[in-house]
Amino acid sequence: MTRTFRAKIALPAVMLAMVTILAACSSSAAPSTTSTASNATTSGIETPPKVSLSETGSTLLYPLWNIWAPAYNQTYPQVSITTAGTGSGTGISDASNGTVDIGSSDAYLSSSQVQAHPTLLNIPLAISVQVIAYNVPGVTAHLKLSGSLLSSIYQGKVTEWNDPAIAALNPGTTLPSIPIVTLHRSDGSGDTFIFSQYLSKADPSGWGTKVSFGTTVPWPAAPGALGENGNGGMVSGCKATVGCIAYVGISFLSQLLGDGLTYGQLQNGQGNYELPTSTAVAAEAAYFAPKTPANGTISMIYGPVAGGYPIINYEYAIVDSTQQSSPTAKAIRSLLEWSVDPNKGNSAQYLSQVSFQPLPATVVAQSSKQIAKIQ
Amino acid sequence: MTIQSSSYPDTRRRRITEVLFRFATMVALVLVLAPALWLILGVIFRAVPHWKWSVITTPTQGTSGGLENAILGTLLLMAGVLIIAGSAGVLAGIHLAELARPRRSGKSSGSFLRTASEVLSGFPSIVLGYVGYVALVVGLHWGFSLLPALLILSMMVIPYIAKSTESALRQVPTNYREGAEALGMSTGYALRKVMLKSALPGIVTGLLLALAIAGGETAPLLYTAGWTNNLPSASLVHHPVAYLTYPVWTFYNQPSSEAHYLSYDAALLLMVLVLVLLVASRIIVARTQRHSEGRRG
Amino acid sequence: MAIVAGSTGLPASPPASGVHPIRRSSLAWRIGGAIRANEEQAWRWSARVASLIPLGALAFVLTVLAVKAWPAIKVNGVGFLTSSSWKPGNTYGATVHTDGVAHPLGASYGAWPMIAGTLQTSAIAVALAVPISIGAAFALTERLPRWLSQPLGFAIEVLAGIPSVIIGLWGVLTLGPFLSKHVYPIVADQMPDVPVLRYFRNPTGHGEGLLTSGIVLALMIVPIIASTTRDLFLQVPPLPKEGAEALGMTDAEVARRVTVPWVRAGIIGATVLGLGRALGETIAVAMISGSILGSVAPNIYGTMTTIAATIVTQLDSAATDGTGFATATLAEAGLLLAVISVVVNLIARGIVVRTSRLGAPVGRA
Repeated sequence: MTRTFRAKIALPAVMLAMVTILAACSSSAAPSTTSTASNATTSGIETPPKVSLSETGSTLLYPLWNIWAPAYNQTYPQVSITTAGTGSGTGISDASNGTVDIGSSDAYLSSSQVQAHPTLLNIPLAISVQVIAYNVPGVTAHLKLSGSLLSSIYQGKVTEWNDPAIAALNPGTTLPSIPIVTLHRSDGSGDTFIFSQYLSKADPSGWGTKVSFGTTVPWPAAPGALGENGNGGMVSGCKATVGCIAYVGISFLSQLLGDGLTYGQLQNGQGNYELPTSTAVAAEAAYFAPKTPANGTISMIYGPVAGGYPIINYEYAIVDSTQQSSPTAKAIRSLLEWSVDPNKGNSAQYLSQVSFQPLPATVVAQSSKQIAKIQ
Repeated sequence: MTIQSSSYPDTRRRRITEVLFRFATMVALVLVLAPALWLILGVIFRAVPHWKWSVITTPTQGTSGGLENAILGTLLLMAGVLIIAGSAGVLAGIHLAELARPRRSGKSSGSFLRTASEVLSGFPSIVLGYVGYVALVVGLHWGFSLLPALLILSMMVIPYIAKSTESALRQVPTNYREGAEALGMSTGYALRKVMLKSALPGIVTGLLLALAIAGGETAPLLYTAGWTNNLPSASLVHHPVAYLTYPVWTFYNQPSSEAHYLSYDAALLLMVLVLVLLVASRIIVARTQRHSEGRRG
Repeated sequence: MAIVAGSTGLPASPPASGVHPIRRSSLAWRIGGAIRANEEQAWRWSARVASLIPLGALAFVLTVLAVKAWPAIKVNGVGFLTSSSWKPGNTYGATVHTDGVAHPLGASYGAWPMIAGTLQTSAIAVALAVPISIGAAFALTERLPRWLSQPLGFAIEVLAGIPSVIIGLWGVLTLGPFLSKHVYPIVADQMPDVPVLRYFRNPTGHGEGLLTSGIVLALMIVPIIASTTRDLFLQVPPLPKEGAEALGMTDAEVARRVTVPWVRAGIIGATVLGLGRALGETIAVAMISGSILGSVAPNIYGTMTTIAATIVTQLDSAATDGTGFATATLAEAGLLLAVISVVVNLIARGIVVRTSRLGAPVGRA
């Protein structure tokens, strides 16, 4: 054999051999030590078999999944969880296509989706919050922003930071005369969904009729508007763009504060301006908790709560109730049961890292009932 | 071949044009090389300061950890493409160069197939990825996995392999063919023992180029291979595969600096991989040309 | 190496080892003989099947696209090519039916901004890449000594292999901010308010947009065009060039009147190859274009999108439209891009085949 012939055979053979050896080595070295103890808790979390689960979807929930997955694996190392932050739209699509086990979404399923895929469930996992961040040099205060003002900004009617409409709500704050650059999500996004719902409810005749709400909306042409990918893109884009305004999930709060951005006080359904403190969020959630139906589908935006923060939502796990394999179904149930358990996933230890709120007790029970349907 | 005109142009306009031309060509060369150098150095300077060798031995966990799953996944995809597209492409190239019967009109045969091949090579990769998603991942219920990724990647690179195989075979001197036929060799035997051996450098170059293209693709893999934290398994369907271009595409936008470092590390690894493949092809070509006749001086 | 007479592969005379081949296991000998006898047919048949694969793949892809896009084609009609709206409709509202196709109320898709964006970025890329590539190829073949031009030529070939996602990443992190801070403001401030140059005036944006996308695409296609052009220039025979020099022509004139016309078809072919890549480039443009779906860029720095970038950013979430209409529309956009790419490719082949070497006899004498 000539040397080049050897090269032609040897190169792919070596690559193939390397790959199989490494794959075999690592799979045989998988942790199998502590899987015997069947941690049967009183809260009824099932012990899962050895499977791989895939999760994708909301970038708002993504940081929490990256905290939950290793924590879950400490008790149940036999489940290997892959997470991804691709946008709520993808979470819903992939869950309905069956290409992912758990889809995460800030938006509940629409009636046409339910019609197309009747076995899909949207299961509330936690309560999250959205903030409106901005990058205005010299302004560190939490500006008061109303829904109709935001609607005008995103429609391109208010184009400068020192516009009288903004100054009227914030007397005493000097606003520079720089142009406003509106950032919106270019991917199908639950953040877009809850933000556009807020604008639709606060400005029903304007935004509500012209644009309405959804995971993608036809954004009006505001001057200099930018589309960004994911919550991470919104934060990095806003940091790089002076004069920007962006809607960002609260799980990215420490990042946006670290990048020198700040967020505003939003006007709620009673006309008061509130910051996204845990009291304000809890007040809003308390109003909607008893109204939450068994399937979890409810909008918690712009409630008539005097001290409530107006943009809060349930984070949903979109799961098909009819799974192809029952070991996978059992693993999904186990993971979701762990997540909504107030002593496990829904405890302050994890949720406080992303500034989320735990589910109210009635909703925990409803979610558990939905989880039990996954077979 | 350096042509340096030594005549002195007799009009001022021609002299100025000549000087501008010489200057412009050097500027153009700098414009080609400088941004690329800036890019490569930029990636190196972002990746190297935070480089940890554990990146190669740890799989990804969320947006942190390492890239072992992605590295092995990319290598596995390349190996699969080599097998599938390599064999199909080389055979297609052999057909176009050797075995297609010449038409009666005297025109080169197989031009329709060649056209189709070139059209396929220019096809937008996202559209191929979409078709793979719709028809294979969702339609056939394979899910994000190795097989749809390999099929789509192979579709993309078979034209390159076929073209380089064909041109390599066409460059084998006709003497060899005539000699083989005079000795009564069957076509297959002649191919194996004579033609392919002399065309090997060109074929190998095409194969390595195809591997470099496959390893650097993102859009089709987003919709066929998916993503996973797990190391690649032997299963062809239902198990997603990781690949190095994914962290570059998604992690740079994440808020944590760990994610950014992984993104740059993946970019660095990809560039090293491409460089190794292309340098290897050059070495193979240079070594075989040392032994063959008729090499370029 | 044994010389073989006849197609069965039997040596004509006993081999030096002294073992007569017929004394090997006759079953193995018979199987071997059968394989060798059919070897030619096996080669021919498998090679023919393999050469049909690209054709089959092309047909498969176009069929899948057409089938998935058909509902959207029916409803969107010709307006798809001219309208500028990208309205998914009220996906959380009622579903209505047009022409028998279900879609959300208010859904109306127009691809004109995407088409414009695709054509504009590709035009900028080709306009920048072709002169630079030809100039660089001249520098490589005629101005630099061999010991420098060979490694530089190899370096350019390596550049062609850099994955586009890395170039996009660099564009977003380094090039875009640099251009928007240091280059665009200077250019924009100098531009007078006259018809064509008006397009280059302020506002200059933040680095993501049309011009930056065009520059990044040019960066991607320059290696392809430059290395092909360099190979072509190396094949121009020295005699015509020396003759021109003997007549007193300067380098510039030799280049313009002898070298370039000699390889014009090849340069055009390489350019169209680069154009094809620019049209279909997805990832880098998605990162650097600003992703604005509903409008054409107002000036050369403005944010826009291309067909390929739109598909990659919208595809994942298109299935949230439970009626499937959004997915079908994206399939229609993909089909449009495929058709544009195929047409461009066929035009290129038409130009190149006229003077190509494919019609020449196989092999060298």
